[in-house]
Amino acid sequence: MRKLALASALAALSAGSAAAQPSGTMTLMAYSGIFQDNYTAVVIDPFKARHPGLEVTYFGPGTSSQMLGLLRSQRSSPQTDVVIMDTTTAAIACREGLVEKLTPAEMPVLDELVPLAREAGGECGPAVTFDHFVIVYDSTKVTPPPTSLKALWDERWRGRLSVSAPPNIQGLVLTAIVERMEGGDYRRGVDRAIARLRELAPLVQTFNPTPDGYSLILNDQVTFATGWNARAQLYHDQSNGRIGVMLPEEGTAFQINTINVVANGPNRAAARAFVSHALSAEAQAAFTDRMFYGPTNARAAPKPEALARTAVDPRYRDRVIPLDWNDIVRLRDAWNNRWRREVIAAGAR
Amino acid sequence: MTPRLLPWLLLAPALVALSLVFVLPIAWLFRISLNISEGSGAMVEAVALDSYATLFADDFTWALTANSFRLAATASTGAVLLGYPIALFLFRTRSRFRPLLAILAVAPLMVSGVARVVGWLVVLGDQGLVNAALIGLGLVERPVPLINNWDGVAIGLTESVMPYVILSLLAGFGRLDRSVEEAAATLGAPPWRVFLRITLPLSLPGVVLGWLIGFVLAMSAFVTPRLLGGGRVFVLATEIYDLALESVDWPAAAALAMYALALLLLVLAAYTALTRRIAH
Repeated sequence: MRKLALASALAALSAGSAAAQPSGTMTLMAYSGIFQDNYTAVVIDPFKARHPGLEVTYFGPGTSSQMLGLLRSQRSSPQTDVVIMDTTTAAIACREGLVEKLTPAEMPVLDELVPLAREAGGECGPAVTFDHFVIVYDSTKVTPPPTSLKALWDERWRGRLSVSAPPNIQGLVLTAIVERMEGGDYRRGVDRAIARLRELAPLVQTFNPTPDGYSLILNDQVTFATGWNARAQLYHDQSNGRIGVMLPEEGTAFQINTINVVANGPNRAAARAFVSHALSAEAQAAFTDRMFYGPTNARAAPKPEALARTAVDPRYRDRVIPLDWNDIVRLRDAWNNRWRREVIAAGAR
Repeated sequence: MTPRLLPWLLLAPALVALSLVFVLPIAWLFRISLNISEGSGAMVEAVALDSYATLFADDFTWALTANSFRLAATASTGAVLLGYPIALFLFRTRSRFRPLLAILAVAPLMVSGVARVVGWLVVLGDQGLVNAALIGLGLVERPVPLINNWDGVAIGLTESVMPYVILSLLAGFGRLDRSVEEAAATLGAPPWRVFLRITLPLSLPGVVLGWLIGFVLAMSAFVTPRLLGGGRVFVLATEIYDLALESVDWPAAAALAMYALALLLLVLAAYTALTRRIAH
């Protein structure tokens, strides 16, 4: 009888804590710029509306590695509660114990996610967005719209290409795609990709686009650039279609952002509530509709026209090369060296 | 209190400030360089020289060193050649606009480095003012590549360090005595000989100081090589950035930063030894 009473008391306590509204202030660290604007509008604001006693502060230091630097420097006294960062950098944070491990028992929404989302985060926070590699182009100059990556290897575009080289992850993804285009597999080597990219190098204006490839096209500095789909789709709409977006028929690969609860953060209850909200079907669908990131929640139902502009759409799924980012991180230095010595060296201006 | 202790006490606030601002961060950087980076990128606390061993075993480190020295020497030499006549004019002129001209000479210092580089992108780009003028005049058919290569970085960096070089030259012109030049001219020396035999030797300490300051600044410059280099210009500063913020390999980045610091200290030591020898 005493055991039953104790169990009832524990159950009541547990139910009470689950129902408790997180309050106070919570800090989210994620990308700045258009990501911040859109994420705030469709994910953070609805969350705040549901939790009137909670204030969410958005902090955007820039890149994932800068976020990792902040997490490392604040290890003993974290100032952030939730962090959204690239999967390769998040893996480091997870390995160093800077972010918490999450289980479906504590956070049931994890069971709603597609398997790739859980795999991307390992034991820590799962994928919150799927983006993918694209080629962007000036649609006023390139007609008909290209469908193949091979469109870049054209003397007409000499000095009009912007290619982000490794160690930038766009360059790493491009290497894997070109290797597949040439009939190879990046896991067995990238000799064919490097040889083909050497032929491309003399046509390239910049291997480090400043500020980014989309702006260079809009300012008529280049005609083609490597890019990420979500931003490219947004710039496509904002430029009234001038920025064209190509998902190459040779393939693409996901760039994955994960969401994590910072270990020993100041407002753990709010952090967990926010992560659950961010991964929910509703928030995932809203962000896909708004910014064309692929949803990671299998139950999310974004508008068909928005989903069609992501690589999560069934029509494109067979084009996605299943990159193992742990492999890529290990191969990064070797590929970087080959780009510098063999590719960029062949593209002197 | 002994008289020998008094100078140290007076120096104490400055020494504490220097320790906080310079010594501690460098010591922290050195400590990071002794950690180990795992294959996954995670940093493991350790006291090991692995990062230095990798650094010195890589041919690319020597290429980066040579690139950095070559670029710094080009930029500082260019800045001295261009800044010398301007500094001499500012030193000599009795115009009532002299203060205004001096401000104009160092005006680039008042603008953010990034904004200046973006300005160069507009001026030197394939669709920039220079190429538009060259094509408009029929001198070239295709744009001349003036950015996203070594030439663009050298131009931008020369402009970037020139104000510092001009200020150093003005400070070094103190020994320049007009009456000595007039005496040489009175004895029949033509202006070019007066310049070569009197003006230049007397201003040489300022020239050496200006070149050195330009060299050190250019050697550690990051923004210009990064933004104007188009990913083709690899120097120590850009590599430190890539290691820290793209590859997320902090121990390697810290080891390379310590190496770059040691190189600069060597240059400064060589300068001190050289000036002492000249003075004696």
